[in-house]
Amino acid sequence: MTAHGDCRQCEERLQPYLDRTLTADERAIVQLHLSECGRCARCYRLEEVLWKHVRNCCEEEVNGELASNGLQQRLAALRSEPG
Amino acid sequence: MSEATPDHAREIAGEARDRIRFEEEALALADQVYRVARRLVPSPEEAEDLVQDTYVRAFRNWRSFEAGTNLRAWLLRILTNLNIDRGRRAQRAPSTQPVEEGDYFLYDRLDEAGAGEEHRLVERLSQDSIVEALAAVPHDFRDVVVLVDIGEFSYADAAQILDVPIGTVMSRLHRGRRILKQQLADMAATG
Ligand SMILES: [Zn+2]
Repeated sequence: MTAHGDCRQCEERLQPYLDRTLTADERAIVQLHLSECGRCARCYRLEEVLWKHVRNCCEEEVNGELASNGLQQRLAALRSEPG
Repeated sequence: MSEATPDHAREIAGEARDRIRFEEEALALADQVYRVARRLVPSPEEAEDLVQDTYVRAFRNWRSFEAGTNLRAWLLRILTNLNIDRGRRAQRAPSTQPVEEGDYFLYDRLDEAGAGEEHRLVERLSQDSIVEALAAVPHDFRDVVVLVDIGEFSYADAAQILDVPIGTVMSRLHRGRRILKQQLADMAATG
């Protein structure tokens, strides 16, 4: 297979690789390619960094709302009457 | 009530204890539930309403929660069902599927804009653009991305929450991630 073909296959396997749903053989092929191909290795690293960044951004955006919306108190008021 | 035997009284006291414990455990998860809700509906107000309705239903049906199982997933299942009941599914346009590039597309775009260390490159994507891009992903795909990538639920939990097979979770997750990355690439290109 050409190097280009390897890169395409590696791109298609990025998500199953992260999901850990590849067979041991498929995983070994991906890892071999990543050790030889700078572009694919970079994209795999970027993918992991991206989803952490997405999660952090979403968390930060909501932090201010949670601090001020009084949701906890309103939910606590929904509890059954004690006793 | 009619027979106030010691056994019966103990049972009632035990149930009250279980109930209080359930309520406390559920309340401790409220912030996490809100974080997920916030990405499923457009506004903070709608997210608050949805979470509040979820807790009303959860407190009413607390007996149907099986102790020892994942309470956060149980609450999210109530929440997503309520969200669907509100007719959200009706506004979906099934014929328009967004364009979907490969998994490297965004990264090639980011690299074109200037080389750099991975963290730096990704951090060029602003909080606003990420929130906006996520909101633009169609519901079916976004639900899964939100549960797995933001809520950090397992595929099995996401499958249970959405009542779909695990294979569907994975295929929607893959497509949802690609669609989100496509949106981010488009935004990065337009500035
Ligand atoms: Zn490659």
